Amino acid sequence: MQEFEHIQSLWQSHSVEVKISSEEMLAQAKKEVNSIRIKSLFNIAGMVVSFIAFSSLLAFFDFNSWTTPLGIGIIILAVAIYTLILYKDHRLISRNDFTVHPGDFLQELKAYQLRHFNLHNRLYWFYAVAISLGFILYFYEMLNNLDTWIQVLIILFTVFWMIFCATILRKAYMKREKERIDLLIERFKRISEQLQEH
Amino acid sequence: MDQKDILFKQIFDTNSKKIFHLCYGYTGDTDAANDLLQETFLKVWQNLDKFRNKSLISTWIYRIAVNTCLTYLRSEKRQAKDELTDNIIENRVEELSEKNEQVALLYKSISKLEENDRLIITMVLDELPYNEIADISGISEGNLRVKIHRIKQKLTELYNQHARI
Repeated sequence: MQEFEHIQSLWQSHSVEVKISSEEMLAQAKKEVNSIRIKSLFNIAGMVVSFIAFSSLLAFFDFNSWTTPLGIGIIILAVAIYTLILYKDHRLISRNDFTVHPGDFLQELKAYQLRHFNLHNRLYWFYAVAISLGFILYFYEMLNNLDTWIQVLIILFTVFWMIFCATILRKAYMKREKERIDLLIERFKRISEQLQEH
Repeated sequence: MDQKDILFKQIFDTNSKKIFHLCYGYTGDTDAANDLLQETFLKVWQNLDKFRNKSLISTWIYRIAVNTCLTYLRSEKRQAKDELTDNIIENRVEELSEKNEQVALLYKSISKLEENDRLIITMVLDELPYNEIADISGISEGNLRVKIHRIKQKLTELYNQHARI
């Protein structure tokens, strides 16, 4: 095998350059696993900010009509419930580490996907109705002193925004989320299966 | 930086060159080898806590890399690998010195082997002990020796054929 030895020395003399450093690799690995958790945290943070904003309206302003605090109260309640559901979903994916309990993590990722799907389907409509009712009651007093055309403009914009969120935005978001979580599930499944083979 | 991060960095620094060489020998393409290297170490990081020291950590990583390379080739979206490797090597040959030309021919010859043979021979070329190769490839050591002998002959033959052209 004289010639194979030549081949082997050729192979070993050929130095290769790894383009990525261990720091970059580590950062990338963490990013992959954490991105879904971070996004879910941002969602919750956004809802908490809305909750604080509406609550401060009740706390710091006086209103003449009973409809306004009732409207704001309904909005606050809807936001609080939605935030709690989001938080429960977030706990589902954050309490298990894939590296420690891959089976449990995969199950919880699937449960998270299902709950998230429900949240943006059936539950979303309850949320949308509650928010709309809250705004109608809120606007009853707040728009009273404005010109008619401004009232119409604000109402039209609110209706348009609610419809936009409930249709185009919600569907696009759900599609993207589903694809992302499907991909994650597929990838984690593949890794788990591969390691079981070992 | 926690213990796991430090351990991962050590593992990466110790093994990344060999794994990259394996992936490069398998694909003949730097970018693809780089992708495979990253996918391999992503799996290593995600499963580091599951590693139970039953085998050498390098063996475990090799096994992940081999599976990653095989999955890569079997993926239906991939371009036919031989064609890709040929294109890359042929485009580069003109720029290469005599020594590098021999290396390019070696990669071209490796690319002509069966996918499993390709992986086994890259481990042989990296001088991995036979028992480790047997462990990684899931072939008994006796059968592996016969197989390696056959692959060595085949590779030498292919290399000589290409060198004559």
